[in-house]
Amino acid sequence: MNCKDYKEAVAAEPHAVFDGAEHADACPDCASFRDEMQVLNNKIAAAMAIDVPQLVMPELPEIDADSNVVGLPYRSKQRRVAPVWFGLAATVLIAAFFGIRYMAADVEYPSLGAEILAHLDHEPAALQVSDVAVSERRLAKVVRDEVAALDSEIGLITYARTCVINGKKVPHLVMQGEAGPVTLLLMPDEKILSAVSLEGEGVNGYILPVGDGSIAIIGERGERMQEIEQRVVNSVKWST
Amino acid sequence: MDLARRQRFDRLVGVFHRDMYRYAAWLSRDTSVAEEVSQEALLRAWKSLDSLRDDDAAKQWLLTIVRRENARFFERKRLETVDIDNLTPSQSAMLVEKDDTDVQEIREAIYELDDDYREPLALQVLMGHSTKEIAELMGIKAGAVLTRLHRARIKLKQVVDGMNHEL
Repeated sequence: MNCKDYKEAVAAEPHAVFDGAEHADACPDCASFRDEMQVLNNKIAAAMAIDVPQLVMPELPEIDADSNVVGLPYRSKQRRVAPVWFGLAATVLIAAFFGIRYMAADVEYPSLGAEILAHLDHEPAALQVSDVAVSERRLAKVVRDEVAALDSEIGLITYARTCVINGKKVPHLVMQGEAGPVTLLLMPDEKILSAVSLEGEGVNGYILPVGDGSIAIIGERGERMQEIEQRVVNSVKWST
Repeated sequence: MDLARRQRFDRLVGVFHRDMYRYAAWLSRDTSVAEEVSQEALLRAWKSLDSLRDDDAAKQWLLTIVRRENARFFERKRLETVDIDNLTPSQSAMLVEKDDTDVQEIREAIYELDDDYREPLALQVLMGHSTKEIAELMGIKAGAVLTRLHRARIKLKQVVDGMNHEL
């Protein structure tokens, strides 16, 4: 490799090892050029590393799993009359639906902890990473005054819904931790004597005794739960 | 919403959004455009996430989306050539460097490079791409990438040498 070729190669890739790189060992001028290029490259890297603003996630639309399915061609309008068999089939389906729901309501869990963990699996929509607070109206509807009062110190609540745990309606809230969403179940009528550890797939937490009730707090593994537990327990006051 | 899909997306974006923004900024030379292009690219990436088979290829995949979105943006807006002496606030925001005047001078020189030289430089220096990866992304031959990188650095070296002579 001659000096011209070497300088072109090193200017293109200052830190790369390429065929003929040993040329600089015997050529002080090229060695000096290589050193200059490497210093320049570090300056270029510093100059290009512009400040990056905080990430603002765009509103992400729901993705339809069947969006790749091609629809059937449009047919001319026809009056559709449901055949008799359709009515019969619909009746059977409705009966089956309510039957299953009735049976599902009777599912027995070995423990309160097991029911709580199973409940998380049934409500995956609650576990989205979000920085958007649930509306105050929604929060007030779920955490009713006669159930509990929440101190604003509790932090950002991004999900609120009334759910049934152990046959009782309880507020199901989600707040955002450092490792991901953290689920809270406020159970004013679920008295326990001591904290119960919860271990689920990728999540862990506790059911903590709070007054005459308890609060389940479940987060991703790696979440600093102790801090959150302290804040939640200090921020929830039962009304009864 | 599919939780596993959303978690996968959040993880990838968490790792690569800075690269996406910086690449968009050096392509467009405008911080406002970079933000808009990054947002559009995130949205498009979300919609087509299922087409990404291997997360190890996510960086190249995301940067390809940024590149296309940037091209779409300029097709829509038909922006004029940038005149460095007459920049808009979001264009001059690219050049702000508080602490180091050397870095400031080189940043201005990079800013003034032709797109053909600036882009491979950003991909190599900022993104750590190999010559082959840059060639694939830009749709040119590896030899052309090396030529552009060589020329870009020679231009920047002339600026630095000029700065040294002024001292």
